[in-house]
Amino acid sequence: MREVTATVLENKRIADEVYTLTFATEDEIAVRPGQFCMIGLGGFPLRRPIAVCKAEGERITVCYRLKGAGTRALAREYKQGEKLSVLLPLGNGFFVKEDEKRVAVVGGGVGIFPLIAAIRAYCGEKHVYSYMGFRNRAAICMEYELARSEKLVVATDDGSVGFHGTAVQAFMRDYDAVRPDVVLACGPTPMLRALKTAMEGKGVPVYVSLEERMGCGIGACLVCVCDKTNGEHARVCKDGPVFEISDVVL
Amino acid sequence: MADLSVTICGKTLKNPVITASGTFGFGREFDEIYDISCLGGVATKGIALVPWAGNPVPRIAESRGVILNAVGLQNPGVEKFIAEDLAWLKQKTRVIANVVGRTLEDYEGVCARLDGLVDFLELNISCPNVKCGGMAFGIRPENIEEITARAKAKCPNTPLIVKLSPNVESIAANAQAAQRGGADCISLVNTFTGMAIDIERRRPVLANNTGGVSGAGIKPIAVRMVYEAAHAVTIPVIGMGGITCAEDAVEFMMAGAAAVQVGTQNFTDTRACPKIIAALNDWCDRHGIEKAASLTGTLTLN
Repeated sequence: MREVTATVLENKRIADEVYTLTFATEDEIAVRPGQFCMIGLGGFPLRRPIAVCKAEGERITVCYRLKGAGTRALAREYKQGEKLSVLLPLGNGFFVKEDEKRVAVVGGGVGIFPLIAAIRAYCGEKHVYSYMGFRNRAAICMEYELARSEKLVVATDDGSVGFHGTAVQAFMRDYDAVRPDVVLACGPTPMLRALKTAMEGKGVPVYVSLEERMGCGIGACLVCVCDKTNGEHARVCKDGPVFEISDVVL
Repeated sequence: MADLSVTICGKTLKNPVITASGTFGFGREFDEIYDISCLGGVATKGIALVPWAGNPVPRIAESRGVILNAVGLQNPGVEKFIAEDLAWLKQKTRVIANVVGRTLEDYEGVCARLDGLVDFLELNISCPNVKCGGMAFGIRPENIEEITARAKAKCPNTPLIVKLSPNVESIAANAQAAQRGGADCISLVNTFTGMAIDIERRRPVLANNTGGVSGAGIKPIAVRMVYEAAHAVTIPVIGMGGITCAEDAVEFMMAGAAAVQVGTQNFTDTRACPKIIAALNDWCDRHGIEKAASLTGTLTLN
């Protein structure tokens, strides 16, 4: 976990309201799949927590959706050569055990971006089956990264591309063929809830990456908590963002 | 190289920069980014007699130049703090234990338990985000005097700081009430009660609806209140509210603060405090000031 001054290499639109930002850090930083960074923007008191999509030595890529004033400023003002203050790597990240060879990856919306890091990490050594949900054709992006998977199913809410329905529905349709040893997921809460229900009783570990508004991003301020099923709170930024799905209340 | 040390209630801090309660946990996470032994002190996360769960999420929002928080004083309780964090934090820097409660007895219990174990106790009677306790004790002068007297009776061996709310009629009257109750020091300001609205949903951003406003945007109001409080009492004052740089800290000290606390800026810039300490030294050097403590209360009104 470090605070670095990064240089923007590229910051461009890749889909409807979605941007990809690549920046260079001063030196190489090891980032595990599922970890995130906090990006500081001039004039905004809070940094923005954004999942790392790709980490290649000192080149880090994140993707973000235009959501509020901060992400709009990030898209508008941080062109190539601009400096950014970035805190990284943060959080626990995904962890797939040695003997878990068949990995299903289920994502929706901006939730696909931390999963790209997982696909990149595991695609050579494991069987990776990806189910990615988008609103419609205009929202689809990063297909060339998703396509590293042994199998990729794109689902759209309106059926304009691929499976007509949600990523969870597409995944469950194929479930008996995929027979995953582990499931990695990230997406809107209703999607994660549907996945939790669908996976109940299957005895397969499901790891979900959660999103929450954050303060410090390093575990000190207790702003970004989630409820655990044992009644305790966990810090999304420090204890997560990845949790076993049965451990958290969605 | 200026002498940045300040002495408050007989205890010397290596510099006047203290991290503000609630923004810094018990220091461990920030210590992964920089060695927190450079700090003048750490005001801990609010500590209650038993663990508190805090408020639902979202607990934070942003507005121009400020943030709003409604964490609701989630904390692990005094026993866990003593068992897991106190010894570690004490060997790093001065420990200012921020004390919270729902009842007078809660406050008394935490003060009694921590008396002699920490460098200072900071009585949080100014949190706007909890239904019982918190700010309820910190609005009316007579309540402030009573809770201060009862807490002080339980911590004869530890200087007691009373942290004041700015959401009051007269900050001078409340500062005097704390002094009458036996406070050894006061700190201010806690956050201003505010609201931020998500206009797409026509709902407050915070689950708690309202939250405490902090950050650079509140600084002029905080400076004015520190000035008024410092000139109403004879005990030392710790100033805070929107400090982002050494020049801000100097402002608060000139207004009457013996030391300062930095809160929200720890989120904006994780290394804010060490930067402020270094820049304060530079500022003193540039202005020929040998002792930073000499800045306190040197403001002349127009």
